[in-house]
Amino acid sequence: MNPDQPSITGIGTVSPFGPLRGLIARKEVEPRPITAWPTEGLRRAFLVEPFRPADVVPGLKTRRLDRLSVWCLVAAGLAIQDAKLDLEKENRSRIAVVLGTGLGCIELTESFFQSIATNGYAKSDPIIFPEGLSNAPASHVARVFGLRGPNLTLSHKGVSGEGAVMQAASLLRTGQADTVIVLAGDTLTRTMYEWFEAAGVLSPACSGPAPLPVPFSQAGEGFVPGEGAAAVVMESGHKAAQRRAPVYAAFRSGHATSNPKAAVSVASKALGTSSRADVRLVIASANGSRAHDDTEQSIIREAFGDKARVVAPKTSLGEFDGSGLLRLITALSWSEPDTRSLALLLGTSTTGITAALSFDLPCRSTAA
Amino acid sequence: MSPFGVGFNAFSSGLLESRSCLNPLTIFDAGLDYCPTVAEIRHLPELTERPGFRLSRTDRFAVLAALEAAQTAGEGSDSHEGGALIATTVAGFAEIDPSITSNPLRYYRNGGFSNVTSYPAYHPADAVGAWLDLHGPCWGVSVACASGAVAIALAAAMVIAGEAPMMLAGGSDALAPYTVSGFNSLQALDPDPCRPFDKNRKGLNMGEGAAVFALETVEHAKTRNAPILAILRGWAMTNDAFHQTAPDEQGRGLAHCITSAMAMAGVSPDAIGYVNSHGTATPLNDVAEVKAYESAFRTRSLPIPVSSTKSFFGHTLGAAGALEAAVTIASMRNSALFPTLRLTDPIETSAVDWLMGQPRRQALPIAMSVSAGFGGSNASLIFELPSGSDVL
Repeated sequence: MNPDQPSITGIGTVSPFGPLRGLIARKEVEPRPITAWPTEGLRRAFLVEPFRPADVVPGLKTRRLDRLSVWCLVAAGLAIQDAKLDLEKENRSRIAVVLGTGLGCIELTESFFQSIATNGYAKSDPIIFPEGLSNAPASHVARVFGLRGPNLTLSHKGVSGEGAVMQAASLLRTGQADTVIVLAGDTLTRTMYEWFEAAGVLSPACSGPAPLPVPFSQAGEGFVPGEGAAAVVMESGHKAAQRRAPVYAAFRSGHATSNPKAAVSVASKALGTSSRADVRLVIASANGSRAHDDTEQSIIREAFGDKARVVAPKTSLGEFDGSGLLRLITALSWSEPDTRSLALLLGTSTTGITAALSFDLPCRSTAA
Repeated sequence: MSPFGVGFNAFSSGLLESRSCLNPLTIFDAGLDYCPTVAEIRHLPELTERPGFRLSRTDRFAVLAALEAAQTAGEGSDSHEGGALIATTVAGFAEIDPSITSNPLRYYRNGGFSNVTSYPAYHPADAVGAWLDLHGPCWGVSVACASGAVAIALAAAMVIAGEAPMMLAGGSDALAPYTVSGFNSLQALDPDPCRPFDKNRKGLNMGEGAAVFALETVEHAKTRNAPILAILRGWAMTNDAFHQTAPDEQGRGLAHCITSAMAMAGVSPDAIGYVNSHGTATPLNDVAEVKAYESAFRTRSLPIPVSSTKSFFGHTLGAAGALEAAVTIASMRNSALFPTLRLTDPIETSAVDWLMGQPRRQALPIAMSVSAGFGGSNASLIFELPSGSDVL
């Protein structure tokens, strides 16, 4: 791999698989019944099971933070451990934090609205207000780990995670940081879930015994919402080699468009000089809803033909805007490349937004 | 889009006239036990609607500013290949009634369904992309009150890297009961017109508006004979890693940001002719900011001229970094250093040349805009007037 390529050397996740360091072991997960708010009968989603953050990252204090902030802190702590990054020896002014999220700290934003609804505008809760800002998770990661480099929060619908990876790579390539903690995620709340219900976009499996949606299937009756967060440590291949850090994947290039007509060319551009035959794995964002999956399928067919191996991790993660990084990690975990290969992370939305990111995957026997 | 009116000319004129836009809030009932002083936009031009796309007030500001930026930049053969990075903190909060939380489904079924579509931070960028038919990436940027400056820095990196031929970048935020209530709960609001950097400052006033810049490389601009208004010569972004709402008391993160931007721009502290500060008028921010200037400009031969134009149009949150970048460019293009209004008894320091009273007339080839925000983020932008060979 090119030593200048931004390389992923550490992984931490908080997902329906639990809080985990490194790759995610393959296991079946089912949507779980929602109990966090009153529902009219059974309602299900791919949910993160509650856990004590300090049990996962010792010493972590997370009281009164939004769940997205908590998960980002836990995932970042796990990724830093996984990368064996000794922060005491690092120049922390050169470590950036980049978060991609669709809706940010929506849980505490709702709490702040609730405090207004209950007490009036004059007596809203001053503790909650700043914690509802979208950049709170990235700020807390900087504060807790003492990271004084650029601190960015980006939002780009269903490709928010992909956007974070692209911006992180840009910071590394332009010399604005030596290392980036890349974060992406979203939480599921009542206002979100019920908006999906009102929009009629949910799978029947959310509210009954119907089978789970199958991405790219003809049925396409809707999706199951999900939630989670992921963090990766990204550094130049040169720095990773200096530290002798194993590399999970090396970012090659990424492109995004808001124009549906440019989606195929964006996917092709992400390959750079490689041919489509070199692509061993396409990590799709298909979620089981007809319009979305049809759009993505036509992009994949046109860009890579019918022979590309396609995986759709939302079958285990559910649908949420900031899922890109978790989809990448899940796919990395469950693919077993025995030779170096090229993978493409594809993010698509029915409104025409597409992002395509290419990664070189090392032979697993030489990787982390 | 600013409380001075529509467009960059109205903005520049208001600044040159030292006109304060701070007045009692009229556009909604804030529900407080006093009427807050704010800077509001009272006349909003109409926009052609698009089916299925609900525009919030924040979105409208962003689209109107972007339309002016694109018009000023002129059409190029690849203009639509560009994208938009639009910063916001409020986005469509003003569209949502707090009662949503008691029973969301009922709220949606009673007409609130489309109100929440403008809630996400990406919506203003999405709106700009849709109204201007942009085919590149359209991302929302949310780094609290440093957002607008950060969006400009990120977009600059994208055009330099060749990821887009042109980017529209800036910030937009509308006044909203949600944010007025939030800053009131933090006891950060001055009920009277604010006094940044004054010993008797009591807090900030909120404002609203948007500024959007068309960014492209000098070479690209020259190729298509586009007017170059200013050159973004350097920038930096840092984080205090200190506290969620308070700045590092010694201003270390901000000082590092300023020195890093000067290093990138390849200029010495003496080359910076003016700093448009963050200057919120809160007790903690202004002291930390002065400490940052004392550190970053300690080698200067003369004190650094500094003002806070939040004294004109309030704190516009996610738009502040962009609007204040526009102030910096207006200052350079008009050879006028704008003052801090109502500053009579400034924080004592030998490092700063406080700009007070009327605009100071002097040539200004290079100037800096400084932003900071909740969560400890800092951003500095250094602008330069184009030289003779760059002006078309």
